[in-house]
Amino acid sequence: MLVRRCVAGDAAAWEEIVQTYNRRIYNICYRFAGSSDDAEDLAQEVFIKMYKTLASYDSSKGAFVTWVTTITRNLLVDHFRKTKQDRITDSLDATSSAHEDAQPLSEQIQDQSAPPDQHVRSREVQESVHAALARLSPELREAVILRDLQDFDYREIATVLKVPEGTVKSRINRGRAELARLLQRTYRQVM
Amino acid sequence: MPDHTSNGMQCQEFDGLLTDALDGVLTGAKLDTFQAHARICSTCGPLFAEVEAGRNWLKDLTEVEPPVSLVNNILASTTGVDTQRLRVNVSLPQPRIGWIERAQAWASGAMQPFWGTVRQPRFAMSFGMAFFALSVALSVVGVKPADLRQISLRPSAVRHAYYNTQARVVRYYDNIKLVYQVQAAVRELKRNVTPAERRPGESAPAKKDHKNDTTQQPEQKQDRNYSQNENHLILACAPLGPSVFDPLNQDPLNQDLPVVSVTTYRRFV
Repeated sequence: MLVRRCVAGDAAAWEEIVQTYNRRIYNICYRFAGSSDDAEDLAQEVFIKMYKTLASYDSSKGAFVTWVTTITRNLLVDHFRKTKQDRITDSLDATSSAHEDAQPLSEQIQDQSAPPDQHVRSREVQESVHAALARLSPELREAVILRDLQDFDYREIATVLKVPEGTVKSRINRGRAELARLLQRTYRQVM
Repeated sequence: MPDHTSNGMQCQEFDGLLTDALDGVLTGAKLDTFQAHARICSTCGPLFAEVEAGRNWLKDLTEVEPPVSLVNNILASTTGVDTQRLRVNVSLPQPRIGWIERAQAWASGAMQPFWGTVRQPRFAMSFGMAFFALSVALSVVGVKPADLRQISLRPSAVRHAYYNTQARVVRYYDNIKLVYQVQAAVRELKRNVTPAERRPGESAPAKKDHKNDTTQQPEQKQDRNYSQNENHLILACAPLGPSVFDPLNQDPLNQDLPVVSVTTYRRFV
């Protein structure tokens, strides 16, 4: 209904779509791209693409949120291919990106061994997990993000990624296991 | 993953049920078999623990807040709409930007390609030379920047300036014409006076011409080549032949002597 109104030229309907989905799309972009600046640019591009192709949405083929996520995922993959910055899925001792002060992830977590404040510790753990997530291969990362961070069901993820459900489950398991290995290795070093 | 059977379940089957077990949808005998396999199998047991730990780590990640300007930027880049309501929704105070700053920002963006070219030393040098040449030309002509301030752009004033300029040009042309007319009159006068002075030595130049003849051409052609001596004056706009005035040759039968169509301005100065 909202989409139909928007296609008919209702600016308020489009505004409502943007208000509803900007948070979700920004988060997917942020977790996939790794930086807030890239996420903002990518989210904006997603909405521009969505705005241009809104008339092509067919409600009989799937939910609108699945369609939106598919657009987001395709754009993220394109972005990944262009930049090729996330192809390295090295160990935790690999040098981190610039915004993490070029410090190995293990050292970052080691510094967090005695946080003065629980809130600060929680935030730093989140940053560590976010950094580890960025080290997963794109195939595993997108599956994990959609399942564990966006709460998509397996069928929706299969639709978005255009792979069978069995492959989706396998990727999710491998992604989670790889992430755990990265972080557990670090914590073993800390202890 | 090695595909061996432990406790009635293959590792591949275990892998397929991993997500279901973690999601809590695996129940009954299937769950028991699964758990038994995880306890016994040296590969699947640690795998299950890692997958579970990874999922728990990911639970720590909370949603991040998008930038406050994101919605505004999206709407501006799609519909071009920046509604008042949206501006109110933005909680952070936006710095006020004056129209001068906005114009400067716009101009700097629009002029970027132009400035890129202008900043090249080669272009700057050419521009400097052109400016210098223009200023020199203006100062030679007598145009002063102070005069430009007094210029009136009313239609009547413009018309008046046009007629003044036209009259000045016509006067200048007439003056030049007068100079030429005076020069022509003076030459005419000179020509009338010259035959009386030359009459005593009339045959001398002719002899000299023949002595220095090295062209081996007929006499008529030689006359043609040497027709521009002092005695054969040709009017610039006169027709050829009969109009050539030769004060030494008064014979009407010999009037078509020098057939010269070349005239030089040097003769008139």
